[in-house]
Formats: sequence, structure tokens, C-alpha cells
Amino acid sequence: MRECKIVSRKFDIKNSHTLEVARLHDGYRTLQKLQEYAPTEIIQIIKDANLRGKGGGGAGAGEKWELMPQNSDKLSFLAVNCDESEPGTFKDRQIITKDPHLLIEGILITCYAIKAHHAYIYIRGEYKQYQDILQFAINEAYEAGLLKECDITIHRGAGAYICGEKSALLESMEGKRGHPRLKPKQKEPEWFFGNPTLVNNVETIASVPFIVQNGADAYREYGTQKSPGTLLFAMSGHVEKPGVYEAEFGTSMMEYIKYYGGGIKNGKKLKALIPGGVSCGVLTAAECENLTLDYESLRGIGSSLGTGGMILMDEDTNMVEVLKNILEFYHEESCGQCTPCREGTGWSDKLVGKILEGNATKEDIDKLLDIANTMNGKTICVFAPAVSSVIVSFIKKFRDEFEDRV
Amino acid sequence: MSEMVYVIVDETTYKAKEGSLLIDLLIKENIKVPYFCYHESLGADGNCRMCMVEIEGQKRPQIACDTLIKSGMKVRSKGENIQKVRTDILELELINHPVDCPICDQAGECSLQDFYMDYGLHNAKVTIADKVKHSKHVDLGSNVMLDQERCVLCARCTRFTDKITHTHELGIIGRGDDAKVSTMPGRKLSNPYAMNVVDLCPVGALTSKDFRFSQRVWFLQTANSICHGCAKGCNIYIDHNKIKYQDDVIYRFRPRRNDAVNGFFICDEGRLSYKELQENRQEEIILHDNIITEDEALEQIKNLIQEFKNNTIITIDANLYNEEIDAIVAFAKKIDAKVYSPLEIYMDEAFGDDMLKSSNRAANAKKIQNSNIRTETPAKTGLLINFNHPQKFEADETINFATHKGKQASLTLPVAVYSENSGTLTNEDGLIQTCQKAVFKNNPTPTIIEYLIRLSS
Repeated sequence: MRECKIVSRKFDIKNSHTLEVARLHDGYRTLQKLQEYAPTEIIQIIKDANLRGKGGGGAGAGEKWELMPQNSDKLSFLAVNCDESEPGTFKDRQIITKDPHLLIEGILITCYAIKAHHAYIYIRGEYKQYQDILQFAINEAYEAGLLKECDITIHRGAGAYICGEKSALLESMEGKRGHPRLKPKQKEPEWFFGNPTLVNNVETIASVPFIVQNGADAYREYGTQKSPGTLLFAMSGHVEKPGVYEAEFGTSMMEYIKYYGGGIKNGKKLKALIPGGVSCGVLTAAECENLTLDYESLRGIGSSLGTGGMILMDEDTNMVEVLKNILEFYHEESCGQCTPCREGTGWSDKLVGKILEGNATKEDIDKLLDIANTMNGKTICVFAPAVSSVIVSFIKKFRDEFEDRV
Repeated sequence: MSEMVYVIVDETTYKAKEGSLLIDLLIKENIKVPYFCYHESLGADGNCRMCMVEIEGQKRPQIACDTLIKSGMKVRSKGENIQKVRTDILELELINHPVDCPICDQAGECSLQDFYMDYGLHNAKVTIADKVKHSKHVDLGSNVMLDQERCVLCARCTRFTDKITHTHELGIIGRGDDAKVSTMPGRKLSNPYAMNVVDLCPVGALTSKDFRFSQRVWFLQTANSICHGCAKGCNIYIDHNKIKYQDDVIYRFRPRRNDAVNGFFICDEGRLSYKELQENRQEEIILHDNIITEDEALEQIKNLIQEFKNNTIITIDANLYNEEIDAIVAFAKKIDAKVYSPLEIYMDEAFGDDMLKSSNRAANAKKIQNSNIRTETPAKTGLLINFNHPQKFEADETINFATHKGKQASLTLPVAVYSENSGTLTNEDGLIQTCQKAVFKNNPTPTIIEYLIRLSS
């Protein structure tokens, strides 16, 4: 296990959230170097590093940056997605509380590359106390004259999960209901009040300073060919030492859990694991055995890496209860725009509730799969397909537990 | 982007504009596709997910309202797969929908009912006890009642207040299956076009307080007509019903699409103007407070015209049909009378706006202007024959052909209103439009032309 700290380098230092400590540890160093490059060169570096978005989708960040117009009459904006609401995920809040200046530095580089002069940080409403730390850091940066070229504004969300979806995030920032927008017909940037806008996750932006400072090759030293670099992987649930620990892509999942997490809580056996926030299909312990933590490996077994926030469940876990818990969340959080999602999340939640109470029949289990099928691939955003894959993975892999209850 | 290209839908080739919406083509060509949220005046929103079609080369079914026409595109609008997808989504749409069609005013003109017959017909998998409960009687204001349980959340009404009237009274609150249409707390739906949301609503969620519970829609007959509320000439449907042995009754006006005039909408004032056609109507022929027969009245008119030769003027209401105005002008020539139609009285600046409402409240003012009729107020005269002009004129003797009660005259004769007669109108833009006769009475009130024929014989 190679320990590698790119984003979490200053996490353990006392008062790491202050400008003074950040500066002591090379903070804002890249800004001096920045002028040596043209904006498009910065984008090229990010592309060469093959930095992948760390909000869950894993799309290439450089490709996204490239969609931003370099010569436009309109203003360009950067929106940093800090709506971290995926259950099992709590990495962005580590960055904004432990090293907010790294994020600000990343924002300044990104804005330079995409020629934006205003960045918004969309933060989930529940993160009030973390927001205060971030705001403190932004104020420090303003006072130190670091934000002359670029303004940073924190926009506080109202607590809707769906606002983590980039177009819903922008709708919300425009003061509207957080509803995902219809997908554009060709590749284009996002739009904020009709202006080209780049939306990136906090961790993605926080990874930028290292890459610009040390070069694309230094970043590619870590991780795999297709998933280079590191991710703030995290563990929660039945694990001895839950928390956020940065690791490179391609790390063995079981080794990671053992090394950083100290194994399963109370020495019990692992039964199941949700790899990257609850929207990723559940895995059985056997499936986890030879897995590595990267996008390709998890896609290979029909799940996804998501945000890297793993939820571990030991042998005593009741999988029907777990699914009920997850579906309650989705039922609550579906934005209600598309019919299949609006009605499907509620119905499936009620059905699993019925199974849990022992009032269901075997047909109800098939009905669940039927609803999951209807929800998949027929909506504006990926919320419903994610719910669908979660339901299918639970029933497929733990069907006997469901059948025991009917 | 505006090039005409060929696309194939279900083995048939159609010509369409490249980059236009596929659903527009399907609607235009009468290819059956279910949809709730799409509306040609509001554009695509993509939320109901009902208009699914298969497109060759696409892995999954796509919604036609968010698919742009491309040259050579191959579309399948029917077949087992697409039927299944539509049935499944409709089933979800229905799980929280109340089963109250028998008491729902929309029954008979409800998209949800129609689509259920086309794509549903499945056995219900949910029990009524599982359904989400919402408010069933919300008075939104402006005669619009909301039943939140019947709502399919297509957002047509909210998009109407956002995009068309820009008044933003309506919104959707709550998430998931708790989402519902609502006004802001303490605010009401209040704009001059508010009742259009009732027509836009594809289901029985929004109903008109004015119309609901008065008729089942399948009893109604429909005539095409033109609103007489102002000079705009908005196209309307007159929905009416004649119960055996009783007089025909108008129950509502609905907007009739005409992109050259009113698009899809009409104003609320015009919509409710049907009431005036049935209230306070002049029924009898009255000579100095005495009811007389039509023969006696015609005799009296002929005598008066003789008596006031060269001292007679005629006034015409600027809401009469083109044909009536022409007939009156011809009649005036015959009896050598000058014709007036003062237009000043019809002007109402407070009424006009930049959408559909014109400050000129006379439906046929253009015809008057085009007909060499004097539009100033006439000086005092011997005999005045007034064809329903609303103004009060000075004369020794007055003959009033009146649709409604209320005006003093020596002789008053009732005439038919426009819904009891057919004819054409010239709107403020010079467009000539036809009104069909809608109302058939057991004892029809004569029309102006009928009187003129009788007076000329």
C-alpha cells in the first residue's frame, strides 16, 4: 500500500484552514507559475493528466474545460459543485474544512484557463458550519489580494439532493426549482443565465494545483492508465476506523479497507459493500475479493466507482432493511419532474416497506423489478436509472432474503 | 437548419423541417402519440415521458418532444416495445391518480382517460389505500379550481404563467410524489388570461369554477365562432346544449386555435362574455310601454319613415356582422337616411394590452370604417332608427332594434344576438372571419336582416 497525499497533504496539519499555514506549506505557489502558460496550455496539461471528474461520473475534466469558449462576448463562469449529498460520501467537506485554500487556488487556476472572472461554490444548505470555515478562507484570500482577477461567491443550497446534478445545480443557482435540464443535442458547456459555465466537483478543482505545479506526468505516476491519480476514498458503516483516506486509483479494495479502515467492525465478516455512495449497485463480499478501486474495474462487474465513498455491511445486516433505507431516501429526494422517477421511487419504497412488514407476496418482488425496469433510461437525468440499478442489484444478489419475508 | 428533409415514420415517408421537433410532425400528420406536458404554445419540457418513440440507431426509446428532425431519420411510433413502454409509464402516472372519473368534470375530454383506453387497460397493481393524498378543492383564484390529486404535474399551467403571461403566480412545490401545483402563500392566480390554464390542463386537475358541474361535456354541441369582446377577433368555440323542449343554452366559450389571430388562447373577459348573450334580453316588441305584434310594429315603422322623410338617421352597432351592416346601409339608401356609427364609445384604454386584448371594444369597427359610414355623433334628428348602437342619441321619435333591455325608445324591437345568427366579421387587422349559428331557440328572435326584408316588402 503506497500512501499518497495529493489533495489531503495538509489535512493533518494544525490550523491548515488558515492562509498562514497554507502559505507555509507551498499554498498558492502555482499562481506565480501560471503566467508562464496560456490558458489553453493549462487545459492541455489537465487533459494530458487525464484528470477525471471526482463527483461520481468520472468524465474527463480537460474535455469539459475545452468546451468553454476562449473568445466569447459572454461572461464565463465556474460553478464548483459542493452539494455533496450522496449518502456515504463526505470527502468534499474535508477539503473545505481542512484545506480550503487548496480549493481557492484550484479555482483561480481553473478560472484562468477558462477565462472566467467569477466562480460560485454551490454548497449544500446543511453544511453551514463548514461553509463558515470556507468563507473565512475566502475572506482571507480577498484581504491578501489573491482574488483581484476573480471573485468567489458561496451559494448556499436549500437541501435538495438533486441539486448535485450539474444542470439542476445551475437552475437552483438561477433561483429556480432544482430540476435537471433536458440534455443538449451536441457537446456544449453548461449555461448559467445564458452564459457558458463549467461545473466541476470540489475535489476535481482541488486536484488542479498539484497537476499544474508538478506536471501531468507527476500526476499519472499515481493510479492506473485509464484512471490516473488519486481519490479521497472513504469508508462508513461496519468498519473499525471509518473516515476519508486518499489513495491512488487501482488500489486493491480489500487491502484499502484493511490498511486504512482496520477491517470490519468487531472482527465480523463482510457481507456486502456499496462502493461509491448509495447510487452504485451493491456488491457481495465475494465480488469485492479481487476488486481494485478504479472506474473500469467496478464498471466491469456492473456497479460503479461513484464518489469512492464505500459503505460496508457486516454479516448481521438485513439487506431488505438496507434497501428500504435507501429507497426512503430516494422517495424523499426525487425532484418529481419526470413521471417514472416521481411515481416509481414512491411506489418501490412502499413495496419494500410491505415486504419488510411481511405483508407482501412473491409477485411484489417481481413487481419491484418491473418498476425498476420502467424507471431505467426513460428520464431526464440519471437519478431514476441509479435507483433502478440499486433495486435490481439488491434483489438479484440477495433475493433469498427478500423471499424469506413474503 | 431550416432545410426540408425526409424522415420515415412507421414505413411512411414525410417531409419536415430539419431541426424541428419530431413531436410537431407526429401531431401534424395525425400519428398517434400520447403526451401530457408538451404543448405547441409552451414548447418541450420533457417531464411526462409519454411521447416515447423508437429511433433507429438509438439504444433506448426517446421522447419525441425532445428529438430534433434529422434527414433520413427512421422512427417507429408503434409496435410491441413502444406500447409496453407507454403502458408502463402510464401505469406509474395512474398509481396516485384518484379513481373519480364519474364525478370529474374533465371526464370525456381527459387525456389521461384517452391514453388509458389506448395504452393502459391494465389491471391495477396498487390499492386505493396506498395512494398519496393531496388537497382536492383548492381555489386558485380567477375562477380556477385545483384538484392536486388529479394533477399529472405536466407543468403546463406553471409554464403558461411563466412564459405566456409572465405573471409567475403558479409553481410546483414539494418533491417526488409529494410535488403539487400551488400559488405562493397568500397569493392568488390573477391575470386577465388565467382561465386558459383550464384548457391547457390535460386532466381534471384544473377546472373552471364557472363551468364545472353544469354539464357533462359529451352532451355539449360545438359551433365555431368569433368573440365579440373586442376588435381582435379571437376564434372561439361556443359549447351549448339544447335539452328537448327547452331553449338552447350556452355553457362556455373555449379558445379555438388560429395562429394568425389569437394562437391558442382568449382572455377571461371574452371567455365569460357568453353570459351576456343570455341575460337581460329584450323579448317583446314594445310601443310606448305596450306590447304589440310584429305586424303592428312593422306598420308603425313604415308610417314613421313616411312621416319623417328627409329627417331620418340610422345608427349601427359596430358589433354587427358584415352582412347586416351592408343590408342596413342598402336599406338606408332606399329610405334616404344618413348612417352613423360613432366609434368613440367603444374605446377602452384600460381594457387593451399587448397580448390579445384590444382597446377597441367593437368587434366589427373595421367594417364600419371601410363602409363610408359616419363615425361622429349625429345631431338631433326627427326619426332615429338605432340598430343596437349602445350610445344614447337625441331624436323626436326613436325606433330601437335591441338585443338587450334598458334603452328608452318610442318603439323597441328585439333582435337576435350573434350566437343566434351566422355572419362574418372584419377584425382590426382586416381579416374576415365567420361565425356559425350556435343557438337554436324554440321561438327564434328575428335577425336584423329578417326585419329589413319584411320592411322592404
